Amino acid sequence: MARFFPLRVSDIRRETRDSVVLTLQPKDEDRDEFRFIQGQYLTFRHTFDGEELRRSYSICAGRDEGVLRVGVKHVDGGWFSTWANEELKEGDILEAMKPMGNFHAPLKPEAARRYLGFAGGSGITPLVSIVKTVLAEEPKSTFTLLYGNRSTGSIMFREELEDLKNLHMGRLSIVHVLESEAADIDLFSGRLDRDKCDALFGKWVNVRNADLAFICGPEPMMLAVADALKAHGMSDAQIKFELFASAQPGKARAKAVSATGAATGAACAASVILDGVRRDFSMPKQDQTVLEAAIAANFDAPYACKAGVCSTCRAKVIEGEVEMEANYALEDYEVKRGYILTCQSRPISDRLVVDYDQ
Amino acid sequence: MSEEAGILDYLERGGKLTSPDNAPPRYRAELMRMMASFVDSEMAGAAGFADCINQGPGVTERIAASRIVLEKLDHAERVLKIMGEFGANTARYETVHPWAARVGRDEDIGATRRGGDMRLNVFHYPLAGWTDAVTMNVLMGCATVVQLGELSRVSYQPLGETFRDILPRETRHAELGEEGLAKIASEGAAGKDEIARSVDYWRRRVGATLGGAASARADLLKRFGLRHESNETLKKAWDAAVDMSLGRALG
Repeated sequence: MARFFPLRVSDIRRETRDSVVLTLQPKDEDRDEFRFIQGQYLTFRHTFDGEELRRSYSICAGRDEGVLRVGVKHVDGGWFSTWANEELKEGDILEAMKPMGNFHAPLKPEAARRYLGFAGGSGITPLVSIVKTVLAEEPKSTFTLLYGNRSTGSIMFREELEDLKNLHMGRLSIVHVLESEAADIDLFSGRLDRDKCDALFGKWVNVRNADLAFICGPEPMMLAVADALKAHGMSDAQIKFELFASAQPGKARAKAVSATGAATGAACAASVILDGVRRDFSMPKQDQTVLEAAIAANFDAPYACKAGVCSTCRAKVIEGEVEMEANYALEDYEVKRGYILTCQSRPISDRLVVDYDQ
Repeated sequence: MSEEAGILDYLERGGKLTSPDNAPPRYRAELMRMMASFVDSEMAGAAGFADCINQGPGVTERIAASRIVLEKLDHAERVLKIMGEFGANTARYETVHPWAARVGRDEDIGATRRGGDMRLNVFHYPLAGWTDAVTMNVLMGCATVVQLGELSRVSYQPLGETFRDILPRETRHAELGEEGLAKIASEGAAGKDEIARSVDYWRRRVGATLGGAASARADLLKRFGLRHESNETLKKAWDAAVDMSLGRALG
């Protein structure tokens, strides 16, 4: 089960007009839990209007720096990022799980590798951690960073990256690609799309010599960059992806409401939604689980362990109520939002609507 | 376009995911099912093979068999760890099913899933002695290598990387099996006859693990980037690999 630890906000630095960098301090006894690998993220929880919301932000510190820092860019309508940008104060306590994520490659201190990094907007956050760590811990390796932004004002970590360039002379090169500003060279204005990559790879970036590429940004940019890298000879195993944080749900979703009154009969009028298809059927309240009923209704419903352990059969109750016999996988906040393990759930209301697509 | 539709489009065009937070619900479910099938097959396979260690004729064979059991459990643990990141209760998972349970040797359970776990059906059949275990290991080893080659491309990058790490070791398991088979075959006609009987028993059953013809789920898995090649293509590759391996071992 997920465990959360308190982190004290020891510093808030405004990075750009719409982003902040938070420095976080674990308690002494939790320090080991927060040793991270470059490129990992922290998942925070916070309660808004009585509902718990979880949100992940990438760590933007190097492994060698001895501090824990995350970058939070404000997203329109995003509760957590708005709160972090506008209301959070130094000294406040945040709750976070220990670092997670797999956006990294094992370091080889002796190796002389050539890294490529591609960041779009706040996708720079995990890359800052990777760049700093690689430069510090693989002294013979070099890093080329291509960084796309709307305008100069929206570039996160601009100064920090410049400092790194000076600190590790000749080992870090940065190409800024700006969407809404004309640069001296056409090559550096526009978006990091396939054409831009092809043009840059011809002149400025040597893909054939590169050992590894890290890409983090919005989906279209990641696809375009990956395609271009492959077309220039890189293999799947050399390319690491991290999907842009804003692709995660930003808003707390409404709780499932029980629109049905007290249960009366022995049968339940059930509706199941899977892959956009809805089927209505009647099921007994006692003798059948929601999963069994869905399968009996010819749904290819997902499940694996059938023992309430693996959570493969998770679905959301849209209307009605169920009783879960065993639950070893879902957490309280998921249950509160209406998620159930269908292999363990039997209806107790006369009407039940369950959605596997949510 | 909603966020989820955006991610599905991204996946369909070959994009990769790296974190459970980004996995849409249906994607998550199919990925979990795929991982559960792998974990359960490794757990059940290791449990069955463990019983055969003492039947190995010499210490070399027993070391090879022990290593295979050890590494298959390790592979199960690695994938189970990823399931844990999606919310599976890993501690409980390891003991939730009777991994060593088997049906009768002559029962025909077809392709329908049975029992509480997600192991491939071939792992419901019992091994009958050392030669039988080695033969099954060669045939299933070839299938695992073909499957892992396919699954290394899976759109959930941490899983693809794990499969890529596992692949050379599973390849080695198939090779160890082939070496064992060659040794049995070199000892005379009786051994070769026994191998032929075991091949006859296992070939159809192992072949069935590679799945049937196209289905609605196959399309869904393809759109999610969880599968790329068709079952038929994998089956052909497996057939060819088995023929080569048996050809080498039996001379």
